Amino acid sequence: MPTTIYRFIVLGLTILAVAVPLSLVIYQAFLTAPFFDPSAKFSFGAFSFVFADDDFWQAFRTTIIVAAGMAAIAVPLGALLAFVMVRTDIPGKHILEPMILIPIFVSAVVVAFGYVVAIGPVGIFSTLAKDVLGFVPWNLYSMTSLVIIAGLTHVPHVYLYSAAALRGLGTDLEEAARISGANPLRVALHVSLPMIMPAILFAGVLVFFLGFELFGLPLVLGDPQDVLVLSTYLYKLTNKLGVPSYQLMAVVVVVIIAITAPLVFMQRLLLRQAQRYVSVRGKGQKSQPLRLHGWRWIALALVVVWLAFTVAVPLSGIALRSFVVTWGEGVKLLDVLTLDHYRELLDYPNVIRGIVNTLGIGVIGGAAAVICYAAIAVAIHRWNSGWTRVVDYIVMVPRAMPGLVAGLALLWVFLFVPFLAPLKSTMFSIWLAYSIVWLAYGMRLISGTLLQVGPELEEAARVAGASDLRAKRDVTVPLIKYGMLASWLLIFLIFVREYSTGIYLLGPGTEVIGSLLVSLWGTGAVDLVSALSVVNVVMIGAGLAVAIRLGVRLHG
Amino acid sequence: MADLTVNGLKLRLGDNEILKGVSVKVAPGQVVALLGPSGSGKTTLLRAIAGLEQPFAGSIGIGDNTFYDAARRVDLPAEKRGLGLVFQSYALWPHRTVFDNVAYGLKLRGASASEIKTRVDKTLSQIGLGHLAERFPHQLSGGQQQRVAIARPLVYEPPVILLDEPLSNLDAKLREEARAWLRTLIVTLGLSAIHVTHDQVEAMAIADRVVLLDGGTVAQEGSPTELYNSPANQFAAEFMGSNNKIEGTLIENAGGRAVLDVFGTRITGQSRTAAAPGGKAAGIIRIERLRCTTADGPNRLKMELKAPMYLGERWELVFARENLTVRGYADAPLPPGDHYVEFPPEALWVF
Repeated sequence: MPTTIYRFIVLGLTILAVAVPLSLVIYQAFLTAPFFDPSAKFSFGAFSFVFADDDFWQAFRTTIIVAAGMAAIAVPLGALLAFVMVRTDIPGKHILEPMILIPIFVSAVVVAFGYVVAIGPVGIFSTLAKDVLGFVPWNLYSMTSLVIIAGLTHVPHVYLYSAAALRGLGTDLEEAARISGANPLRVALHVSLPMIMPAILFAGVLVFFLGFELFGLPLVLGDPQDVLVLSTYLYKLTNKLGVPSYQLMAVVVVVIIAITAPLVFMQRLLLRQAQRYVSVRGKGQKSQPLRLHGWRWIALALVVVWLAFTVAVPLSGIALRSFVVTWGEGVKLLDVLTLDHYRELLDYPNVIRGIVNTLGIGVIGGAAAVICYAAIAVAIHRWNSGWTRVVDYIVMVPRAMPGLVAGLALLWVFLFVPFLAPLKSTMFSIWLAYSIVWLAYGMRLISGTLLQVGPELEEAARVAGASDLRAKRDVTVPLIKYGMLASWLLIFLIFVREYSTGIYLLGPGTEVIGSLLVSLWGTGAVDLVSALSVVNVVMIGAGLAVAIRLGVRLHG
Repeated sequence: MADLTVNGLKLRLGDNEILKGVSVKVAPGQVVALLGPSGSGKTTLLRAIAGLEQPFAGSIGIGDNTFYDAARRVDLPAEKRGLGLVFQSYALWPHRTVFDNVAYGLKLRGASASEIKTRVDKTLSQIGLGHLAERFPHQLSGGQQQRVAIARPLVYEPPVILLDEPLSNLDAKLREEARAWLRTLIVTLGLSAIHVTHDQVEAMAIADRVVLLDGGTVAQEGSPTELYNSPANQFAAEFMGSNNKIEGTLIENAGGRAVLDVFGTRITGQSRTAAAPGGKAAGIIRIERLRCTTADGPNRLKMELKAPMYLGERWELVFARENLTVRGYADAPLPPGDHYVEFPPEALWVF
């Protein structure tokens, strides 16, 4: 049976790609030295060392505070935003809708740099405020700021899931509440949002989980105050002892995965529950927006303020900074305008390579990744076998590995496996790491498309005389073509934005904008970083524009 | 060509046994309707014959060509069975034109381009869609899509065409026209077909033989007139036609005649039960066989007329007495009040 052979080949490769890096990390955690060192012996020493480190526990506590804090901010705001956008007649809905999703697509390091140059101690808006007020009324480098910024930039994640759930609800229940005398806010709090509680709960767990993945924001905003979270602790560990402390890093990775894996599993359960809940309630009737009257302007104002803070402030900050020679108190904008930073980009061969590589990984790598995801999805599509369960879980595993961790694991795989070693300093290593990290996301995009192809279309081909593979080739694949194109665009956006996965793999030949930004920031090259950030934002903006133009749904 | 034979087929979906040993025979040139309420397993049986569902016991085959045989571990995949299937949803491939949809089966059979062209054109003109060959499915009306769905298997001349409720997606008026069209097409081309439907009128109109399924077993099979006029069991009696059910105590049961005691009145009917007198029994009678009279007489019950309803070509009358409600037809409305409702003995089956 050719189909069965195909299925098991795909299944085998998927398991290999996921399990090898993961098991290597776990194996490394129990050694006394790097895994390629012949003197390495089995030991719990690395665990004892890390667990005895006060900085580790400090980072651990901070991570939990940040994750919980950002969930506490993002969940209520995201849910309310969803209600306002889906259920009410807020003005400018069509313009707001794509804008709301921007924070998801802009690289977190770019946002973090943006905040530093906009509202940092000598930031552009800070100096303006100082001119007016005589002092800067905020302090960017504090835990509070970190939590608020992390929370506000994750509002769209909650929004997406809440909005999807709300769209499935009939509006009659809300209208009934309105007629009984409830104002829009009460309708939201007492009727709509309680009914989509499972979806909100899911989003809450998701955001808390993303808190453990957070890297760019704490790296940039926490650094001046030595605030470490687990991911930045891991990053700093590289330099801590002077020698490569593989086993210690592996221990931190194992700790992170030990926390994130149950969270991912929990999300899966919650999502299933949330979907069941919605499908039971969904009536599919045409929904009439709730009329807000005077409230609509208040609602609009709140959304605009949020957008200004999370999108306009950091992006305008970084853009402005990229066009000025220097910035500080008493500097006049017109005196310092320049295009030099963009010219300087061309002076650095690695930066040029980074830009080219980023485009390449987005366009070519994205296409290759989509093809791989489709190959897996088609293989398990309507496969009546327990193995589909295995694939479901396998696909989830990389989700539990934050990009930084996956990049590290992949680096070790490339060091460890002889025939892969020559590929380590090529873009293939980056592509493989990216594709594995975004496996779950990509699979969801493709399976969503596949589910829209009715089973009877393939069955009709079978009865007409086509073999299983032939039916897939002649019927299924042509029908998911547009879905795959849309997925390609979304994967392009994700790959161009990605920064943390490439950090450990960064080397001559494997530069991408994201990891370059992190390393350049470390050297204090603010001019270059600003210009390169703008280049990155422009790429993403172009991708987003194409996606919106083609009517691609910006979420899977 | 030989009969299509399904023998003792059993099929399970999850923990549910959908088919509990079903046997069906289709002779060449015959149309068999699989009739039954939803959940009776008729579509599952059809899909099992097509090779789209996996039985665990029994056999399916045409003559020596075994499609499935649990004992001999034979299970041909759908594409090797050479059958035709018309889906309830039509399942037209949206990315192909009408021509390409119909041509696909021939292409898979390695026909030459010129042969494909001739045969597809011929089939399309047979179903009256020759002029729409270059359209895409979404550019067709529901009725046209349904014809394309039928043309798709027709073109490669399968020994048996399987039709899964092909008319159910059409609106009521169109459905009646399509029914007549389909029957004419089947008769003209001399097709063998299995037609799944939950509509008894459609089954009787289209089929030479009707197989009535109930909960995964065959309740009765025979010609449409047999099924309608001499039901073998209470399920068959109640499923076919529109019926009245009167319940009473069985007081006599001998010589093919059964007598029920209903409100103290003796009601005689055809015995369809082996039960001894003394127990409860049910009498089933078609609505159209009920007679409304004004005077007392044998096999008549005194009942009160509750609601006369005008249906256009006749009146429907609803009679009631205590918890018994019966319906009957009349050419003219009767005055409200008590009437005598007659259950002709030859039309009443007692189970």
